[in-house]
Amino acid sequence: MPANPAIKQVSDVTWEIPQSYKPGMHVPARLYASKKLLDNMDSGVIEQVTNVACLPGIVRYAYAMADAHWGYGFPIGGVAAFDTETGIISPGGVGFDVNCGMRLIRTNLRFADVKPKIKELVDLIFNLVPAGVGVKGSQNFGQSQMGDITALGVKWCAEHDLAWEDDPQHVEEGGFIKGADISKVSRQAISRGVSQFGTLGSGNHYLEIQVVDPERYLDRDVAKEFGIVHDDQVMVMIHCGSRGFGHQVCSDYLRTFESGMKGFGIEVRDRDLACLPFSSKEGQDYYAAMVCAANFAFVNRQIIVNQVREAFSRVFHKEPEALDMHLIYDVCHNVAKVETHTYDGTKAKVLVHRKGATRSFGPGNPDVPAPYKKIGQPVIIGGSMETGSYLLVGTQKAMEATFGSTAHGSGRTMSRTAAKREVRGAELQRKMLDRGIYVKAATMDGLAEEAGMAYKDISEVVETMDRAGISKKVAALRPIGNIKG
Amino acid sequence: MPFRFLPDVALADIAFEAESNSVDGLFETCALAITDIMVDPKTLRTTAKRRLSLRSENLDRLLYDFMTELIVMKDVDSLLFGKFRVRVRPEGTSLDAVAEGEEIDRERHGLRNDVKAVTMHLFGVKHEGKTWRTTVVLDI
Repeated sequence: MPANPAIKQVSDVTWEIPQSYKPGMHVPARLYASKKLLDNMDSGVIEQVTNVACLPGIVRYAYAMADAHWGYGFPIGGVAAFDTETGIISPGGVGFDVNCGMRLIRTNLRFADVKPKIKELVDLIFNLVPAGVGVKGSQNFGQSQMGDITALGVKWCAEHDLAWEDDPQHVEEGGFIKGADISKVSRQAISRGVSQFGTLGSGNHYLEIQVVDPERYLDRDVAKEFGIVHDDQVMVMIHCGSRGFGHQVCSDYLRTFESGMKGFGIEVRDRDLACLPFSSKEGQDYYAAMVCAANFAFVNRQIIVNQVREAFSRVFHKEPEALDMHLIYDVCHNVAKVETHTYDGTKAKVLVHRKGATRSFGPGNPDVPAPYKKIGQPVIIGGSMETGSYLLVGTQKAMEATFGSTAHGSGRTMSRTAAKREVRGAELQRKMLDRGIYVKAATMDGLAEEAGMAYKDISEVVETMDRAGISKKVAALRPIGNIKG
Repeated sequence: MPFRFLPDVALADIAFEAESNSVDGLFETCALAITDIMVDPKTLRTTAKRRLSLRSENLDRLLYDFMTELIVMKDVDSLLFGKFRVRVRPEGTSLDAVAEGEEIDRERHGLRNDVKAVTMHLFGVKHEGKTWRTTVVLDI
């Protein structure tokens, strides 16, 4: 039994905290976790997910996924859907890094092709994709273009020769979320973001060269639908978000929301849960600004992909098209979106907050792009830089159980300070090289802070979501080269 | 020590506690802590100067806005600062400050973590006896 007796087991890896757990809960909370993950889940998650269950207009459940850990207000690895008429929107339910997300690109290269050139490749990408404190990107579009860019996302890139024709359809929401309005974004946010397109950032953001890892897992039938046809095929994974633009949007609206709650008679258990009715002017303004930031992030990852294609082309002396460097998919994992879901026997529009959680739409869903309609949306789950990552697909079960949502990564278990106490950056870099992973980092401190031991076991997280049926494993991916922001 | 890091407050981020015997000193200490998170201050020269005048609705907000301004200047102007002089006006809702530092030099500066934002978590200025104190959690 779990340490907290209020947590009841519903099925194999599904747990529930009843509405009676604390006063004010409108719905129960649901946790997805193996027994091992649940036992090690920090107690903050339980408090936070039940606080979320108290927010006005929440429907069905407040969810915590298998990778959940403490966050500001909402737990990271949290999902909550709200009625669009009676419910709220919360910047804390999205996170500071709006549309932090994952992008996966395939190549037709094999491990043997890349292994001898991994250092050259990683070094070149490190030079082409700026990472770390205060870096500027290679593309400076100018403030006058920010309205169009943040309204149209990757579609804008395609119209300006900055994306391949099929790139937008391989991005969640077709490369841009509707409803952006740059007039709702502060001057500071625009100034912070305008020179940051194509930059990786810092913290847990990375760019990784990976190889399919059939020893851990490979479903060859589904994988081939994504163009993965070799057991040692080389892929590129990118993890980053909306940079200073999104961070400032969140900061600005947290301020507005915190002072605005009194006027709506909203009281929350934690100031980081600041929220306002979605239908209010302030709620709509934040949504429009947050969508701008989400589209900014799609463009940021697109510019990075262009640089990665350029680097592969230079190193392997072939055009990126000849290297088959198509996007498999791009998923958001910090976002709030209006989606249509069926719950309690009714089809309705809800505002789904996913904070450190990934959309996981199943086969046949109209929002899944045509090439993947039969198999479901690709779900990209990034692990630590030492332990590898996974490609999964969304399921019908996720549509029924979690508003089409699953986990996003492995989840941190150790503080940055503690990780640095355990290992020095240079030592970690040497050890990873011994294990066949060439790492280039913006700073050695930053590298040590992201050591694999600071994270949960990614395979345990992925296995849990697979057992729960809310996403299904397709391929494990192991790192061979890593650029750490 | 005027500031100390709190490793157990936010696993994925960085928290610190700052104190001073004056409100001006508290603001300056918080600014130095943010710099320390982003760069080894010993590698930072003072070749650029920025003057700031800010007004907010209360002292908490004033400190939040002051720290946010430093993060904005890091992104917009590529500036990091190692020396601060802050004068908070007696009513506690406005300040004038001078920050001295230099443009980021990736070769020479010992760069550390990029700070995304100041969070509201545990945030607030406290005045206890002769000591001004605050806890700040930064999103990394």
